[in-house]
Parts: sequence; C-alpha cells; structure tokens
Amino acid sequence: MNGEKLWKIIQHQDADDNRREMPRAALSRRTFIELIGFSAASLILSSCRPPQQKIIPFVHQPVEMTPGLANWYASTCGGCSSACGALVKVRDGRPIKLEGNPEHPLSNGGLCAIAHAMVFNLYDSERLRQPLVGSKPSTWNEVDAQITGKLDAIKKSGGKVRVLTSTIVSPTSREIIARFLSQFADGRHIIYEAVSNAAIRQSHLRTHKTATSPVYNFEKAKLVISFGADFLGAQGSSVQSAKEYARARNLRDESREMLRHVQFESRMSLTGSNADARYRVSPQEEIDALLLLARLVAEKKGSAAPAAIQSFDPPRLGARLREAIAAIAGEIVKHTGKSIILSGSNDSDVQAVVNFINHLAGNYGNTLHLDITSSPEGSGQSGDAEMVRLVEEMKQGQIAALLIFSANPVYDYFNRDELTSALARVPLKISFNSHTDETTALADFTCPHPHFLETWDDAQPSPRVFSLNQPTIAPLFETRPYQESLLLWSGERRAYYDVLRDNWKARLFPLQKKWATFDEFWDQSLHDGVFVAETVTTVEPAFIVDEVGRAAEALKSRNAEGLSLILYEKISMRDGRHASNPWLQEMPDPITKVTWDNYATVSPGLARELQLEEGRVIRLSNASASIEIPVFIQPGQDDSSVAVALGYGRTKAGRGGSAVGVNVYPFVRFENGTFQYTSGVRIEKTANKIELAMTQRHATLDGRPIVREITLADYIEGRIDEGQSHTSEPRSIWKDHPYGDHKWAMVVDLNSCIGCSACLLSCQAENNVPVVGREEVLRQREMHWIRLDRYYKGDDENTAVVYQPVMCFQCDNASCESVCPVLATVHSSEGLNMQVYNRCVGTRYCANNCAYKVRRFNWFEYPHTDPTANLALNPDVTVRTRGVMEKCTFCIQRIEEVKILARNEGREIRDKEIQTACQQSCPTQAIFFGDMADAESRVNKLKHDERDYILLEELNLRPQISYLAKVRNSPREEA
Amino acid sequence: MNLKTAKIISLLITMTGAIVLYQGATFSWLGDQQGYEPQQPIAFSHKLHAGDNQIACLYCHSSADKSRVAGIPAASVCMNCHSQIKKDSVEIQKIAQSISDNRPIEWVRVHDLPDHAVFNHSRHVTAGLKCQQCHGPVETMERVYQFDSQFMGTCVSCHRTHREVTLDESGKPLITSESTAKKLMASTDCSVCHH
Repeated sequence: MNGEKLWKIIQHQDADDNRREMPRAALSRRTFIELIGFSAASLILSSCRPPQQKIIPFVHQPVEMTPGLANWYASTCGGCSSACGALVKVRDGRPIKLEGNPEHPLSNGGLCAIAHAMVFNLYDSERLRQPLVGSKPSTWNEVDAQITGKLDAIKKSGGKVRVLTSTIVSPTSREIIARFLSQFADGRHIIYEAVSNAAIRQSHLRTHKTATSPVYNFEKAKLVISFGADFLGAQGSSVQSAKEYARARNLRDESREMLRHVQFESRMSLTGSNADARYRVSPQEEIDALLLLARLVAEKKGSAAPAAIQSFDPPRLGARLREAIAAIAGEIVKHTGKSIILSGSNDSDVQAVVNFINHLAGNYGNTLHLDITSSPEGSGQSGDAEMVRLVEEMKQGQIAALLIFSANPVYDYFNRDELTSALARVPLKISFNSHTDETTALADFTCPHPHFLETWDDAQPSPRVFSLNQPTIAPLFETRPYQESLLLWSGERRAYYDVLRDNWKARLFPLQKKWATFDEFWDQSLHDGVFVAETVTTVEPAFIVDEVGRAAEALKSRNAEGLSLILYEKISMRDGRHASNPWLQEMPDPITKVTWDNYATVSPGLARELQLEEGRVIRLSNASASIEIPVFIQPGQDDSSVAVALGYGRTKAGRGGSAVGVNVYPFVRFENGTFQYTSGVRIEKTANKIELAMTQRHATLDGRPIVREITLADYIEGRIDEGQSHTSEPRSIWKDHPYGDHKWAMVVDLNSCIGCSACLLSCQAENNVPVVGREEVLRQREMHWIRLDRYYKGDDENTAVVYQPVMCFQCDNASCESVCPVLATVHSSEGLNMQVYNRCVGTRYCANNCAYKVRRFNWFEYPHTDPTANLALNPDVTVRTRGVMEKCTFCIQRIEEVKILARNEGREIRDKEIQTACQQSCPTQAIFFGDMADAESRVNKLKHDERDYILLEELNLRPQISYLAKVRNSPREEA
Repeated sequence: MNLKTAKIISLLITMTGAIVLYQGATFSWLGDQQGYEPQQPIAFSHKLHAGDNQIACLYCHSSADKSRVAGIPAASVCMNCHSQIKKDSVEIQKIAQSISDNRPIEWVRVHDLPDHAVFNHSRHVTAGLKCQQCHGPVETMERVYQFDSQFMGTCVSCHRTHREVTLDESGKPLITSESTAKKLMASTDCSVCHH
C-alpha cells in the first residue's frame, strides 16, 4: 500500500479517432436554413393557443390515496427465487421504486441490483397484452375453452402431464400445481433451473440423507473458505449473505474483530474480489486443494477420514498452495464451529467433500443449518436429472401436455436441438411466460402471468420465513396469474387471493400464538410483508461418512487436461431471464466494467502466450458447441481456463435484449446427475476484433492513494495512515461558505462495499437516469450518477481488488461552480452543490473541471416516447433534456421531502430520517448519510473514525463525502 | 404538399408571426399565462362556493395542507352536498352522470408550473400563507383565471422577504419579516424548487 500502485486498466487503449461527438449527417448549408424556417413556422403555430392540459381527478377517491403523496406497501421481490423483502413506493397509483424492507429477517432492508431494475419490467411495453393461441391474440374465454377441452381428453386417455417451472418459492403455488396435477393419471412438477445448484442438495442427500440446502449464517462465522463459490454475487440469496458477511466484517463502532475470507478460484468472481486472501487455481487444482484441505483438517482433528482422502497427495499443487492450505486447516481447527466451507461447483462429489470438511469443522448446527422440516417433497426442488428425463420422455412422444412457467429451456437448455425436436412431439404446450421468449414462441397457447407487482403471491425463502407479495397496481394488460389458470383448469373458479388466504389460515396461522384471530394475523403479516414462524423444530441429521470416500475416489480419478471453459452468471444478467431489461444490460460488471456484452475472460499470461489483445475475437469449441466471442484480459484469472458469462445471446428478448452477446449454454454438460458448468475447450484466434463497451477507461489515477487499505493487524495496532495522508495544510483562495441549519454529508465504508452495484441501479430508478445504449457507452457517455471504480492490486497472478463508489462529492470549494458561466451549478446553504437544469446551457466546463469526474451530460434527448415506460419515472425528479449537465445531488428530492414533513410537523429533522436511494438498499450498509451540523449524527461520528479519509485531499476541494479505509484481514506478509 | 409549397407556407407563417409578435400589446414572454381563463367542462363558480357560501378552500382541495398538490376534488365530493342541493341543474347532472358512468371529469388546468419547478402546497399552507397570495381573489371569480404571472420572481421575492415565520398567540404561523422566532425559514436555494 505504501507507494503501491493501484491500477485500473490492463492496457491503455489508443483513443479511437473515429469516434465523433455527433453522428455525421448529410446536411448542407441550404437544407439547414430551410429546416430553421420549418422550425420557426412550427414554433409560431404552436404558440397560437396556450398548451391545454387536463387535470383528471377520481370519481371516488380511495381513502388511502392522497395525490402527490407516496404510499409504501410491504411486498416481496420477485426478481429471483431469493424472495427478498421489498417496500414498494406507489405514487398516484403507480409503483415507481422498490426499496429494502428493514423488517424482513433475511434481506434486512437490502436489495440487489436486479430488484431495483424490476420496476422497468412492470412498465415494459413488450410484455404480452393478452392470451395467445399460437401466435394470434385471443381472449381468456377462448383460450380456456380450448385448453379445458384438450385437458379433459388427456384425463380420459391417461396421458402424461408435466408442469415445468423454475424454482417456485411460493408454498401456496406449489400446492396449486400439485392439485392441478393430481387430476391426471401421471402428472408431475419438474423444476428446472438453467443455472442449477442441485448438487448441494444431492450431496446432502448422500451425506445427511436429506435433500436440502443448508441455511448459512455468515454472521456467526469467523472464517469463510470458498472454493469458487460466488455467494456474494450470483449464487444463492446474495443479499442475505452480503448483509451477514458485512456485519461479520464490520469495523465501525469500536469493533476490532472481523471475519476472514479465503477464496480459491479460477476466474475473478465478485466474491473472490472481496477475499482477504485469494488463491488463483485451475479448476483441477481447486478440487485438489479441497481434497488436501479435507485430509489436513481430518489429520489435525484426529478424525477418521476415508482412505481416498487419507492417502491423498496431490502432485499438482505447488509448495505455496500447500503451505496456505495447511495454515487454513489450522485456522479451521482453531475456529471449530465458527467457519463455513463452500464450493461453487455443481458436482455432488465436490459438494460431498465440502460437507465432510464442514462436518469435521463442527459447522453443522452452528454456522450452517440443515432444516429437515422443509421436506424435500414440499420444497419444490428437484434435480437436474428430472429435466433430462423429461426431455427424453418428450422425445419418445410420451408427454401429452407441457405447461411452462418462468422457464425458458429453448434458450437455456444445454441441448437445444434435442429439446426443440422433443417439444415438437408434445401435442399441448402451454406457456405462462410474460414475454414471447424463445420457449413461448413454440407454445400452442400462451396465458401471460402478470408482473409480481400486479399480483398476489407468497414465498418461503427459508424454512421459518414466509413472505407475502401484494399487488400494488391493477394489471396493466390482460394477464392472469398462472395459479388462477391452473385452478380454473382444475375446476375451481377462484381468485388466487382467496386460495392464498385459505392456505395461510390452514398452515401458517397455527404456527404462531400472538394473534387470536386469523384476520388480525393476516393484516399484520400483510402490513409487515413477512411472517416468521415461532415454532419450527429443527433436527440435525447424522453424518454418513461412506459417501465421502466414494466422492473423493471419483474426484481423484478425474483429470482435466488442457484448457477449461468456466461458465458463470454475471450479477446483472444472471441466467438471462431479465435480458430484455436495458437497465441491467447497461449495468457495468463490477470487475470487468463491460456493459451490453459477454466475453471470454483470459488471464494476462494466456493472452501473452496466444498473442490476444482485448476485444480480439476467439473461437471456443469442443464436441458440443463452437462460438466466437471477444476476449477480455482479466488479471487474477487462472492460465489454464477461460470464463464466459451465461445469460447472453438471447434471440427473443425484445428490442433491448436480443442479439446481445453469445449464448454459451450449449457448453453446459450433464454429468454425475447434475448440470456441470466447466468443460474442456479448444481456443483459436480469429482475425476479427470487437470493441467492448467498457465504462472504466476514463481516468487512470496514477499511483496515488485513492483507495486506502490497511491490514487488520496494522489497524489494531493503530498504524493506519502511514504515508497515505496528505500532511500539509492547504490554503484556499475562496472564502468559506456560510452554512445554515444543515450541512449534508456522506461517509462510504470501503470495508463494507463489496461492489454489488445495487446502489447504481437504485439511483437509476430514483433519479430517472436514462439508458444510453452500447454505442454511447463506447463513446464514454454512460449516465449513471454513481461510478463504481474498481482497482487492482498486486500483479497479474496474485491480484487483489478494491472497490470505490464515486458520486458527486458536493465540494465546499467546488471546481465546477467556479467555471460555470451561467450559474447553473451553485452552492446551497446546506452544503450541496446544486445543479439547476433549467439554467444549464451545456458548456460542459463543469464536467471538464471536476476533479472526480462525476458529472454526466445529456448528449441526446434520451427517448421518453414510450407512454408505458414513462410510468416508471419518478415525478419528483425532473427529466433532463438534451444539452443539460446532471449529477448526484444527494437525492435532493428526498431531503426536501423530509424537510417539508418536519417543518409541517414543527420539529427538527431526526438523524437517519433522510436516506438517499443508494444508501437505503445497500445490502452491506456501506453508505451513511446525515447532517454534519448535528453533532450527534451518525455521519458526524463516522467522520471522526480513524479510518476516515478524503479522496484527493491535496486538491483542497473539501468534499462532503469521505471514505473509511478498507481493511484486509490478512497476515502482513500477504498484504 | 411538396417541399417547395411547404417552404413558402412556412415563410409566410413566420413573417406574419413576426409582425404580430412584434406589436407590444400582444407580445408576451414564453410561458406567460397570466390571465388564462379556459372554458371548463362544468360551469363551476368559485364565487358562489368560496365567496357567497364561504366554503373553505380545503374542503374541496383537501390535500393542499398534506401534499405537494392541492388536489382537484373527486366527483363524489361534489355530491356530498349536491345529492340534496340543486339536483336538477344541468351542470350538476353532468357530475351525476360522471358518477353513474364512472368517468372522471376532465378539468382544464389553469395554473401550470413548468416541469422543472417543484411547488409544494403543504409547506406554504402550513406556514400560514393564504391561498389568495398566489391564486388571487378566487372567491370572486365566476370562472377561474390565472391571477399572477407565477414566474420565478413572484416566488423569490416572497422567499427573500419572508425569511422567517413567527407564531401568533393561538400558535398559528404569522407571516413576518422579523427574524426572531421559530425556524421555518423560506430558502432561496435553487434546489428547493429545482430538482
């Protein structure tokens, strides 16, 4: 750190001279003058009559609704199967923002980037507007009549019926599906996840005789050893994990203890980038390291281990890795019952060995719980093998009807051709998907399911936690919940709401004693959005060691030679189901900073060897597939592997999502009963080159202590600042600003920030930040108000990563203010650097003069022409026009809202009452906002933390944002 | 219409427009709607309701002390009284019709601030400002018209002079420019209205 260089990009790219500020248009001088004539005429014509606007009040105004005031409803996010608690902000009948529900026991007020982007999906005008027969619009009556007729025929003939869904977290929905299927002689519910984690359940079936995933408790852990598991990123309930992880690593409030995180991985994952110690290993070495760790922990514990593990001596592991693993084994034994070992593999052999180490370390029952009350039959989780079997059955023409909800196998099944030909043999295919995606396009009937903000539902994200999902807007289109369709086709014409209530009454109401009547219980659960069962007995099942020996034996015999392809999920695109969402497409990957694309990450070493440069298109091929994809050079990536993100290359994902990137699902293998996401490939260089739309090539901040980092040992001994801070007292040519009652300020704890980018999307939704598209990102004109800087440390092989969210710093001596010729950016009496859009004439001097490069310019009138999409706009924030500069203003609309509320009530603003959009749902609570004029405020106290520092302090801009230095829990020699 | 005709027509319009606009009497600033008095779908008289019958402004514009917008009453609010009073009037029957059809009445907006300016009614009403301060003598208007230009100057002149608010004996805010009492300061920061 002292004098250590932080670096940001791999190679300085030559500035592309071809890039022009404006697209060239063929416009002669004569045409130009003519056009001016037209516009003058139209201006005069339009000014003949004052623009008439209508005010349309209600006929009967609902009691709870006041025009102009937001209502908040507790609900559940339906973005993925984690089912985080969300509060939905509804302004004048329109849901416009999702925020974390602080009372939700799992997500605890956090939300991920995807959740924030879900508002866009609600107002997506490409959603299906009515049921379809084939591809023709139809009516519900027509569809129901035809489908019931066909289903009745199947009932008589005894044909096989399958419901194919992704994970269904709703217990009531699972019951409805089961009820529907019970009408048929052979009806089954198949759960298919394109990116599966079935191996964790399968391994527990082998080692604990229960096919459940453990519930992890990172907060209790002192040590986390992860073998390629991306638990903070795309794997599992990342918000919950991140929340607990950050709590266990919190060093604010005098805490001097923090969880230590060690990661062994081949690609650079978001989780690995946050590790205290990260070991770059090949996929084969990852397995070897795991087996060696199992052996050493067993030895240190003096426990019996299967022979295959006892005798394990990996020839491939180098001395450095062996030493590290030995040390980690020691740490695990030291922290018995306080560690967590995880793996990202979907191979049940690997997971069985992980279970063995967790068992030896005494973690079951302490940091991870196997809750066998959530019985495998009821949990709605089935293995990948069932999907493969289903395709086989379809191929043989055995399936009479297939009903698909929230699954898109035609896009994401590994053997697409086989699946497509198999589907052709199914006489009745019904899709409940909300878009005409790849699978729905082949369906005979489409019965679109509404968006989760338009419908009732429940969710059981963890055995004790039941979350409720309530509609916050009437369905925009002619959609119907799939549950109601299934009920109707089971002969029950009932609203899903009634079934849901009945189910809660029968099953959940008895699980509590607090409320005497069901109505009270229901109202309270609906108000809170969540119900936590009081009594659930958990039994820790016994460990069966035999299977571990078999697993280890199988793993030892595996020997991957050559180059491996690792398939992973990006935190924005995940498995590809939200590919039509441009907010997610434009969200920069936290590590590579690439938008609108997937790419093959290649280590600098391999790139040198094969003479690849960034953007060079390579061909990756093996027996099952062959693709061409651009290269991204990723420090910290292992030399014998290439990693490519899944979820791209959709062909039917609407205007925004189709033909973005390359589909790599064909490389998925089905082996050992599960889908495997690594496979051997050949790599070839092609002559093509593509430019990747990255947001990171601006500003390389050479060698200065931009992100300060210290080791825990140094921190405890008080050696915090060595050589990093600026010592001389700078003098200012400006007079100090006089401040009034408030001075708003922010602190960002870099030790908590994990780079998840939730703040970025929360800000986008709150502040009407436009999407600019791939071309404009290439011109470096992305509009996100928060830039999440990522710096690498160390060398190409031992690479550490630090993150730094950068938004407008609201400087006291703001360099932007002094250069604005029209006073469009001025200082407020509360310390804010105001941006007055209606004054701005777009000279862009301010952006040029900003030291932190946080200003964004509207180069174009970004389209607000879709009336449905415009419903997502926040009415409290001006939609900026072309030629206007914009930037973060600490969510000034929220400050003003609370100020007005407090003054109307005749009181002072309370500390923590104002929460900025980025702060509110930060899963790790890394952002703090408050009033520096209040001596007791949280932010004021944090500004006096020893780790507090100011970015580019020597410039004497006196910004209102400061950072708390990152702390790495690593022995000093590693740092 | 071919391009040439379009050019000639637009030239003519531009020239006529320029001549008309150049005359001082008809010239007005862009966006100036002072005196704007549109025809409304229902001939509602503020003079009769707020003036003669002394119905409080907040009875109909009920969110003015709670929300950013004052609110136009729902049709059902009219019928609170008119289900008994003047049931036979043609105008009232329009409201009754609206309710029975469940079709809202489309009022024409009189006061319309630009989209980049945010005005919060509740703060001003709670601070003790009279509605008439900005909206003029509404209680005398048969048909509502825009009394003030409602340019930024109007807002700022008030915000500059009425920096602080004192409370009278009954605890209600009293507009004054003396800087003695409670902090309810009107700010002149741009971001108070422009965000």
